[in-house]
Amino acid sequence: MRKIILLFILFVSVKSISQNKQLLYNFTSVPQSLMTNPGADVTYKFYFGIPLLSGISANVGSSGFSAYDLFADNGVDFNVKLGDVVFSTTRKDRAAINEQIELFTGGFRIRGGQDQYDSYVSFGMYQEFDFLSYMPKDLAILALDGNMDYLGKVFDLGDLNVKAEMLTVLHIGYHKNINERLIFGARGKIYSSIFNASSTKNSGYIYTIPSNVNIYEQVIYSNLQLNTSGIAKYDDEDYNGDVAKDIKNKALFGGNLGVGFDAGLTYYPKKNIQFTASIVDVGFIKHTKEVENLTYKGYYKYDGINPKFNGGNTGGDVYQQFKDAIPLDTLHTKYTTWRPAKFNSSIQYSFEEERSTDCNCTDYNPETSYKSAVGAQLFVLTTPRTPLIAFTTYYRRKIFNALQMKATYTIDSYSYKNIGLGLSSNFGPVNFYILADNLLEYRDVSKANSLSFQLGLNIIFKDK
Amino acid sequence: MKRLSFNRILLLFIISLFSFSCSSDLDFNQANDLKLEPIFVANLAYFEIPAHEFVTNGIEHNLTVGSPTVDVFNDAFFKKHLTRADLSFEIDNTINRGHTLDIILQDRNNQPLYTISFNIPAYTGVANSITKTEIFENGNLDLLKSTTKMTFVLKMLAGPPLSENSIGSFKLRSGVTAYLIVQ
Repeated sequence: MRKIILLFILFVSVKSISQNKQLLYNFTSVPQSLMTNPGADVTYKFYFGIPLLSGISANVGSSGFSAYDLFADNGVDFNVKLGDVVFSTTRKDRAAINEQIELFTGGFRIRGGQDQYDSYVSFGMYQEFDFLSYMPKDLAILALDGNMDYLGKVFDLGDLNVKAEMLTVLHIGYHKNINERLIFGARGKIYSSIFNASSTKNSGYIYTIPSNVNIYEQVIYSNLQLNTSGIAKYDDEDYNGDVAKDIKNKALFGGNLGVGFDAGLTYYPKKNIQFTASIVDVGFIKHTKEVENLTYKGYYKYDGINPKFNGGNTGGDVYQQFKDAIPLDTLHTKYTTWRPAKFNSSIQYSFEEERSTDCNCTDYNPETSYKSAVGAQLFVLTTPRTPLIAFTTYYRRKIFNALQMKATYTIDSYSYKNIGLGLSSNFGPVNFYILADNLLEYRDVSKANSLSFQLGLNIIFKDK
Repeated sequence: MKRLSFNRILLLFIISLFSFSCSSDLDFNQANDLKLEPIFVANLAYFEIPAHEFVTNGIEHNLTVGSPTVDVFNDAFFKKHLTRADLSFEIDNTINRGHTLDIILQDRNNQPLYTISFNIPAYTGVANSITKTEIFENGNLDLLKSTTKMTFVLKMLAGPPLSENSIGSFKLRSGVTAYLIVQ
């Protein structure tokens, strides 16, 4: 158990890498693209997702090291590999897991009246799991090596930065074609947190320096806090409830609740030039139920035992003094977590115009009137430290009427060789899509720093 | 025709991308081999007694005793993970009298377990620091882990008399190097 906790502390993960859905963004033949931009230029009469199969996405990522670096079956001692990973990474490196499953989803068009353009409603519910951890480098060094070889180094306790959350999201979006060139959309969300653990605002330091008075000057200043909700009672030995029932109850708004919104637009300055922008998950969750906060806060300067001569046996309870100076406190204080907000934007140039018989040729939607398009996207994600920024260029092509492809090349702080590919097929009303990035990493997935995929199955009815 | 072949090539390319995937062998059970072997250094004890404190109302007292409790070595974490401890001492005597110092490790019943002894010569104007390192491993280490009290017995040896105006001091500082294994 101790090992699992240690490994957890060392390598728990982030979602940051995952949250960039550069393939899905503006890939409007997939209705789920509305989840990355509520103002995406979609066309449908109505659609619904096959429950539990309409949107499945997962991402595992780590910067600075891969699963192979740690777990390769190559005869090298695990502890050597662990040391190599710790020393080759920095406090900015992170590990992440993100997973989303749509429980249900659907949408319908509201026909515009005379001189009015159509508007669309979409709604659904999805479950999400996130994990984010920065490399707690200084703490890992202390655990691996101790402080003997690091006299004078100030170990930064702020390196500990971890969060994990499971939640469900119920959402409804409205999307209005203002005119033939401009579309606005917005989506309201209700978050229900099943559990949350976050320790992202830590600070403090530990140092040992040679001293003239004593052998060393040793100081610990600790300002560590872990907030949890929905976890504490399972830690209680007397707990004899039904975990599955609890989760179901919390998923259906029995958990800690929050609200948020998405907003976005699509604009065509010219018929073949498209600009889009969106902001997603501007929202927060208030944790008021089953809250437990653990804190280690205090300052302690350790001098060692100072015997009081001829004064009894005082002066030696240094360990107790330490525990009194930096106590482990358990509190029950409400707290608020902000959802990681995502900003997306794109500019696209479409070419190879076609006037096929099944197309509504007054439509601006480039996926129905142009065979090909090239474009660029920008993605920004808020994180507990500096925002994550990714830049993508892409090529989108209609291979057949029934098959759309999008290929992307993305640069971010994790990788400069991220090639992604997405396919969306429509056979009759059945829409199947599969999107995967970091394709070059698939040559050996164990060495990949990041892998993600999204796939799903929808039923879409369009005008004939 | 040209268009058709382009699409075919593209499709083939896509299919091949998705099929060339493999993975090196991974062994997640290696996590069970996790073994941390940190080495920590820390202060152990320190004191400084100025020469004049050996004299009260003109009368020398030649025996000074302090018995602080020690609550670190018998802590559950250290009992389990401490595999070796080096206790190092450094004594600087600048009083013109010799001393002996015994540091006696005692258990919770005040039974002596281990004694570290020093002979410190009188100060003659030349810096003369005495250092000593005691290594606790195996059987010795168990004695250290039973230690709940350290008694410092400082005896001043015969020599030129001290007064309340005498200069110099008797100074000790010590540290511990703790070798831990956590697995």
